Amino acid sequence: MFSNFVSYIIQGTAITVAVTLVALPFGLVIGLLMALLHTYGGKAINRLAAAYSLLMRGVPPIVLLFILYFILSGEINLSPFWAGSLSLGIVSSAYQMEILRGALLAVGGGQMTAARAVGMSRLQAIRYIVLPQALRIAIPPWSNEASIVLKDSSLVYALGVPEILRRAQQLSATTQQPFLAFGTAALIYFVLVFATNRGLDYLSERTKLPTHP
Amino acid sequence: MPETILEARNLTKVYGQNTIFKNINLKVKEGEAIVVIGPSGTGKSTLLRCMNLLTRADGGQILLDGEDITAKGYNEDKVRQHIGMVFQNFLLFNHLTALDNVMIGLTRVKKMPREQAVKKAMEELRRVGLLDRADHYPGQLSGGQQQRVAIARALAMDPRVMLFDEPTSALDPELIGEVLGVMEKLARDRMTMLVVTHEMGFAREVADRIVFMEKGSIVEEGSPDDLFYHPKNDRTREFLWKITELYGKKEKDKGGAA
Amino acid sequence: MKRILVVVSLLVVASLVLTACGGAPKAANHLEAIKQAGVIKVGTSADYPPFESVDANGNKVGFDIELMTEIAKRLGVKLEWVDMPFDSLIAAVQEGKIDASISAFNYSEERDQTIDFSDAYYTSEDAFTVADGFAGTIAKPEDVAAYKVGVQTGTTQDTWLTDLVNAGTLPEANLFRYDRADQAMADLKNGRIEVVMSDKVPAEALAKQLGGLKIAYSGVLSSGPMNIVIPNGDVELQKAINEIIKQLQDEGFIDQLAVKYFAE
Repeated sequence: MFSNFVSYIIQGTAITVAVTLVALPFGLVIGLLMALLHTYGGKAINRLAAAYSLLMRGVPPIVLLFILYFILSGEINLSPFWAGSLSLGIVSSAYQMEILRGALLAVGGGQMTAARAVGMSRLQAIRYIVLPQALRIAIPPWSNEASIVLKDSSLVYALGVPEILRRAQQLSATTQQPFLAFGTAALIYFVLVFATNRGLDYLSERTKLPTHP
Repeated sequence: MPETILEARNLTKVYGQNTIFKNINLKVKEGEAIVVIGPSGTGKSTLLRCMNLLTRADGGQILLDGEDITAKGYNEDKVRQHIGMVFQNFLLFNHLTALDNVMIGLTRVKKMPREQAVKKAMEELRRVGLLDRADHYPGQLSGGQQQRVAIARALAMDPRVMLFDEPTSALDPELIGEVLGVMEKLARDRMTMLVVTHEMGFAREVADRIVFMEKGSIVEEGSPDDLFYHPKNDRTREFLWKITELYGKKEKDKGGAA
Repeated sequence: MKRILVVVSLLVVASLVLTACGGAPKAANHLEAIKQAGVIKVGTSADYPPFESVDANGNKVGFDIELMTEIAKRLGVKLEWVDMPFDSLIAAVQEGKIDASISAFNYSEERDQTIDFSDAYYTSEDAFTVADGFAGTIAKPEDVAAYKVGVQTGTTQDTWLTDLVNAGTLPEANLFRYDRADQAMADLKNGRIEVVMSDKVPAEALAKQLGGLKIAYSGVLSSGPMNIVIPNGDVELQKAINEIIKQLQDEGFIDQLAVKYFAE
């Protein structure tokens, strides 16, 4: 019976991974857009982007989750999975924006200047010169954000998405063995976070630019 | 009479309360090498950046081949393809090999087919003596080599004129020679050049004309002989005396340390 | 840049498609809509055995689960379970995310403001069980504060007793919490504690099973009647469900369920 229960929790892993795989890329796209607007946009756009960052980092993810699922439900009827994943993505976008903004700053204005000097437009310079370098710089802090989103994905349990935590709660109630239920959940999260960080470490190592031999 | 390639007319640049330079008039003619000298913080670099629109001037005009490139709505990206620029701190694209640094303008801006671009880029690398470093990243190159790649990158676009912004001042003394060598060769090949530098030897040997700038205006200009041996202006004379003294001393110190 | 736009628009399109799928056809009222769709979506928080929980295969089981399955059958529609933490259920009914919710809800005036309740389908009574030789008296519920009391952790009885502790009438040291009700009963029999507070149905069963124990007092204390939650003002659905509950009570179906789930 216990092995059945453990496999029930493990089935939740697929959902946890799916939520993360929606939230992270969604957050990356918005975060990147916002970071670019903040760094290269005019004064008004810059302020708007900064306000977005401040607002989204100031709202607890669970609150946004409820807003998207319950309050905006009249306008957009999102399923719990999508409402949860997109809310986490929106919150993460603000943090990813800050990571990418830092990376863009670290690349420095000189690269942009040099790219413009060979006749590139701003968009070309961003795409071919600044971003390839910024994304490299962003990998280590982004790895950190990825593990945060992975762990925050447990919040979608509040909408009844049967991911790891929600299943652990149910099993804890059924078996009266909270240690087994939550211990299994903790172990799965640990393995997922560990694998994510290791994978991104490897990516970072692989894309590292060579220096003096 | 060779035609004027690049011209500044009454050019003025202001930062807040500070006037960087005012009413600068300067003509760069085809095949001419002009060296701009003058004390630091006198607006030479800003002038250079204004010439290819990296910085916007606040007054006056810039003409490239007789066309006003400061006019409203003028495509500035197009302008920069025709004006090569070499920076004090090289500014190579750090994530690209030497070859890709030279090529990227060709493939992305000029939309040249890749094969043709590789060929052209290799030619330019040969021109600066770095064919064997084509697959090296900037991090694997010395400062002198990086600056030569940067020159090749600018040359690859076949510019009408090359701007050099203190190209050797970030280099260790033993690496200056290789960069100046490349620039000398360019001047011999009659590349049109506008150079800001403190290398007085280079100025004397290579320049067709020397412009002395101080406190945001051109004080004096003329042939190297005129400026170095018969300066009309006291400030020119004073500056030249100071800089030879300073650089002579630095050379001596280096010799002593080595 | 273009690629970014493509990705964003894809996400927007995807969410619109999902929206379209989730939309219910227009009907005269909610009950009609449910019947048209042939499915009733019912929320529950499957972490509250024996009312609702999951078994080793992840299937929902329990008193409420079986009851609702029968109700849906008699409504002539398929039943779709939506699992959600208890705290989210009322909001989900309110916002139309689910059609109704069964999750051992007790009526409260506060909750009645935003949603409606069906008639009670079951009333849970509490009991104070003591040893046969118990010398004290429990004339009214609060009298229990004078004794050593055992309770199952996390139950409504636990909450009720904790209120007494907080009020200062029951000394903290005299409240004994157990993982399971039968452990508390065993300790009662051994004389380690003097009273056990629990649901009445299992209390009767355990007293009989262990022997030497009796129920000194019973009444509706910690929870009370349980009702199904339905959307506010949804009179048609309310009437339909109430009729079925009445039938099930008359047929003895609910009593059988109570024996099945609470007496062991």
